[in-house]
Amino acid sequence: MTKSQTVTEMKKPRRKYQEFMDNPATRNILPVAGLIVIILLFTFLTGGKIIQPSNIQLLLSQTYMLMIAATGVFLIMTMGCLDFSQGSMLGMASIVICYLSAYSIPLAILGGMVTGAAIGAINGFFLVKRKILSFIVTICTMFLFRGCIAYLTTDNPVYAVGDIFSYNTIPVKLGLTVVLLLLVFFFFHFTRLGYTLKAIGAGEQAARFAGIRVDRTKWLIYILAGAITGLAAFINVIKVGSVTSTGGSMLETEILIALALGGLPISGGALVRFSNLVVGVLTYKVLSTGLNMLGLTTEMQQLIEGIIFLIVVAVFSDRKSLQVIK
Amino acid sequence: MDSKDARSRLKTDRFLGRYTGVFLLLLLVLIFWAVFKILTPSNFGSPDKLVSYLQTSLIYAVGGCGFYFIVVMGLWDFSIGANVVLGSVLACYFAQSMGYWGVVLVPILCGTLIGLLNGIVYIKLHIPSMIVTVGLALIYESLSVFAAQGEERVLSTSYRAFGSYPANLILALCAFLLTALLVRYTKVGTYTYAIGSNEYVAKNMGVNVDRYKVVAFVLCGFFTGIMAILTISYGTSMTAASSLSSMSRNFTPLMGTFVGLAFRRYGTPILAIVIGEFIIALLFNGFVALGAPTTIQNVVTGLVLLLIVALTTKPVKGAVVK
Amino acid sequence: MSEEMLRSDNINKYFGANHAVSDVSLSFKKGEIHGLIGENGSGKSTYVSMLTGIYPIDGGKFILEGRELAIRNQVEANRNGISIIVQEMGTLSGLTVTDNIFLGNEDRFVRHGIKNTAAMNRKAQELLDQFGFGRIRATSMIDNYDFEDRKLVEIVKATYFDPKVLVVDETTTSLSRAGRAELYKHMKRLKELGNTVIFISHDLAEVIEQTDSISVLRDGQLIDTVESSKATEGQLKRLMVGRELSDRYYRTDYGEPVSKEIVLSAKNVSVPGQIRGLSFELHRGEILGIGGLSECGMHEVGKAVFGASFDRTGEVTLADGTEINSIPKAIRHSIAYVSKDRDNESLVVNDSILDNICLPSVKELAVGHVLLKKRLSAFAEKYAKLISVKMSGIDQFVSDLSGGNKQKVALARWLGKGSDILVLDSPTRGIDVKVKADIYALMTDMKKQGKSIILISEEILELLGMCDRVLVMKDGVLSGEFERDRSLTEEDFIAKMV
Repeated sequence: MTKSQTVTEMKKPRRKYQEFMDNPATRNILPVAGLIVIILLFTFLTGGKIIQPSNIQLLLSQTYMLMIAATGVFLIMTMGCLDFSQGSMLGMASIVICYLSAYSIPLAILGGMVTGAAIGAINGFFLVKRKILSFIVTICTMFLFRGCIAYLTTDNPVYAVGDIFSYNTIPVKLGLTVVLLLLVFFFFHFTRLGYTLKAIGAGEQAARFAGIRVDRTKWLIYILAGAITGLAAFINVIKVGSVTSTGGSMLETEILIALALGGLPISGGALVRFSNLVVGVLTYKVLSTGLNMLGLTTEMQQLIEGIIFLIVVAVFSDRKSLQVIK
Repeated sequence: MDSKDARSRLKTDRFLGRYTGVFLLLLLVLIFWAVFKILTPSNFGSPDKLVSYLQTSLIYAVGGCGFYFIVVMGLWDFSIGANVVLGSVLACYFAQSMGYWGVVLVPILCGTLIGLLNGIVYIKLHIPSMIVTVGLALIYESLSVFAAQGEERVLSTSYRAFGSYPANLILALCAFLLTALLVRYTKVGTYTYAIGSNEYVAKNMGVNVDRYKVVAFVLCGFFTGIMAILTISYGTSMTAASSLSSMSRNFTPLMGTFVGLAFRRYGTPILAIVIGEFIIALLFNGFVALGAPTTIQNVVTGLVLLLIVALTTKPVKGAVVK
Repeated sequence: MSEEMLRSDNINKYFGANHAVSDVSLSFKKGEIHGLIGENGSGKSTYVSMLTGIYPIDGGKFILEGRELAIRNQVEANRNGISIIVQEMGTLSGLTVTDNIFLGNEDRFVRHGIKNTAAMNRKAQELLDQFGFGRIRATSMIDNYDFEDRKLVEIVKATYFDPKVLVVDETTTSLSRAGRAELYKHMKRLKELGNTVIFISHDLAEVIEQTDSISVLRDGQLIDTVESSKATEGQLKRLMVGRELSDRYYRTDYGEPVSKEIVLSAKNVSVPGQIRGLSFELHRGEILGIGGLSECGMHEVGKAVFGASFDRTGEVTLADGTEINSIPKAIRHSIAYVSKDRDNESLVVNDSILDNICLPSVKELAVGHVLLKKRLSAFAEKYAKLISVKMSGIDQFVSDLSGGNKQKVALARWLGKGSDILVLDSPTRGIDVKVKADIYALMTDMKKQGKSIILISEEILELLGMCDRVLVMKDGVLSGEFERDRSLTEEDFIAKMV
């Protein structure tokens, strides 16, 4: 039985729009066009302030952490799953990094990544073994570790070793970000495991019948995403130097909005492009910096971001994949 | 077989089912109470404390009732928290000019309108309910910050009747009765279950799926409005903040809903929601009594939610779970 | 009474390129039980689905008692006096028996928005009692009852308002003898009231016995309508099948011996509720068919062999002793599976042809641990072209292809993998004749190359035409086995099926 409205049964204008959006060229170009439009828009609105070199540098310096953290979530969302625990993950990993920074920096980085990976493993376990929806699992871990962070920073923030700031240089941050992006790009396009992610997102049942070990892959990707967030935590610590009880909050929402702005279909699948990640994070940063520069209050910014988010998700969603939408 | 015989047999069936359900729930309450009482006999579990636990759990249970319609269908609504905040802020504001009418009508109106907006946007945009409501929550939160104009809003002392006995109990009971009525005695109840069971078959049998999904969102918003009344009256003040801080308000009602879902087959979902919230309140306060700092609150929320979901859902081999 | 109750004028239905129902014009009289028979894919289920509002009509119209019908869903069909008892589950879990009986029709019990649940329950129990199903409690959750009892509830749901036209769609095959007797009783009741019953069944003896007239569909077209009192099973079968066995596309060889080498053996395979203690062996270069009624468990056998069954007991072993119990293992050991559920299992529909063809072979395609797009593209192109997939390019999404071409992509994938054992479940279902011929030719080729095929199919002719041996299943167990022989007929087969 046909369980969906076939394309031929839709009304004409709707069909034309659908075909336009299904064209891969559209999906590649539209987000980039959006980025350009936003840059131009804010250049105009801020009277050119936003493209001044000092501001660009500031913008970029705030982007590294988000870019790295979003990479892991990008992989998860390609499979059609979600992760709301990124913020708490970042906070926990930052705390571990701060503690360990007193001993050695490489150890601290490793510690952060292991922390993230451990939390990712917990997420993956409940998703794969207990078959609980990913967003419920990750919301629970979000709360759990948010509470831990609050507890560990009850009396005062956790501080990293004093000279951690010496690492806060562009070569370090840019270098780490670029290297990571290249590695993940390679992973996504050229390795066997990375190649199967889109298939899992596009049709998990069919992917299983094609021999893909779906459960194992999901678990591994959640662990990997956690480790990547641990790396983002390092970038965070070298900038801020400490962790407070609100460390990392809102990160998961920022990531979600950023990826949506980049044109990532919310259910993942075969229409995902690596450019969704990079273009999305840049677009989001320009947007939020721009709104900030215009002097808008935080709630006004949030209002605009919320509206844009809904519009963008609707525009880029992969209709054919979402037969019965819940 | 005689009609009269049939009727009396029907009655016995129903009674037995309910009896088991209530019994199980009360047993759970007893167990949890006993555990914490044994661990900290002095700090926990005295009758007056129990009454205060009950009062807070009523608030969440009302929200849980609204959530019930949504979750039964397999949908999600994460704008409940923002809804409560907005409703509370508006209540404080309108209480000054409209008295009790402001406290009662405004949150309900606000809640219902938000529910309607949620439903319509969900239907029109064709994206998963979870994502839609998170996006809308961002919007509602910013609206509540506007409304509060940055200050902590306090409900004037002359209008706090719904914060304590008997007004809060009466309001809550009305909400529960209304929910039970809707579930058992209206088409809304039947169709909600039908859509949740198999949307495709339900549609084929003539159920207007889109319409009833919107109805579910409206009902959820409506009950959230009532929850807002109780929240502001009990808490007496509300601070509107952004950055999705309202998200944490979503989860305590949700937990009660899951307990309600699990007890659906005993025929006592609403009662299960109320008792479920009571058990959760026992848990929270139990941990506090054990000396856990308030920062642990979130940890408990996370653990309990995970536990409840893990216990009330059975992993089906080979099912696609995203 | 020979007045006409229902008529269809030139009803048509297309599923993509597949002309499922073609200009069917039929007349149904008042006070008659009218049988509708045909092979799988003949269009009979599609035809009645249009009548009852499950599918939209692509051409033509239905006329009930002189009025043209415009029905969009089952409830509207009910309101017009048309009712259907479907083959699959027609009741919703999580609702009570009462709710299921009255679903969509509650309004007569609703006043000012309040449903009079007590009255509904009473009425439901009364109806159940009247029908003789009093042991089913109206207020119970329907989940408490097994498939047969739920079907009985469906009978109540479909007939309590004495519909003008009742469609019974292949319901009897899943009922016990007692259940069937109940159904016949109510069919007769409707007939005596002057209403019409359209009775669809595979069981030709049953159809001849219970109906007044029988219409035969084949390949979406109406072939003939005969009087039941004068009909014979042989005559009906001939009308259903029509074509000669020696026709176009099946294998033309007979009497060639099959190798004795065993490549796969199933021992005591059971899947709760589907298969019981099934054992068989597959030889090299053999095409082994498995057939029966749709619910006989044969489709589960395919999954069991492929390692895709979660609660399978028993063993599926290869020649070298390897036990197959997971999909990755099966694929690694050269077993392929093309599922009956094409869109959810055989293919990742919302993905490119390239991805679909390459997925099982990624390990072999990788250079070291690296996958190069060029290699993948070349691989996919090669096999897509080999099997003549009609596409605009390997980056095209499978969802844009016609049914036949989708199936070709599914086969191309396993060609590329070079699997030696192929389990094909209903590979030619819903596919047009030309592509069917291509697939049969491919199968013959593979056999010549020494590959072994398990062909699971509901089309008897296909099994008789293509296989070296055919296993017949009934109710989850093996009920018969046939060797390839020119003199085999469908009759022999059907005898073991039902």
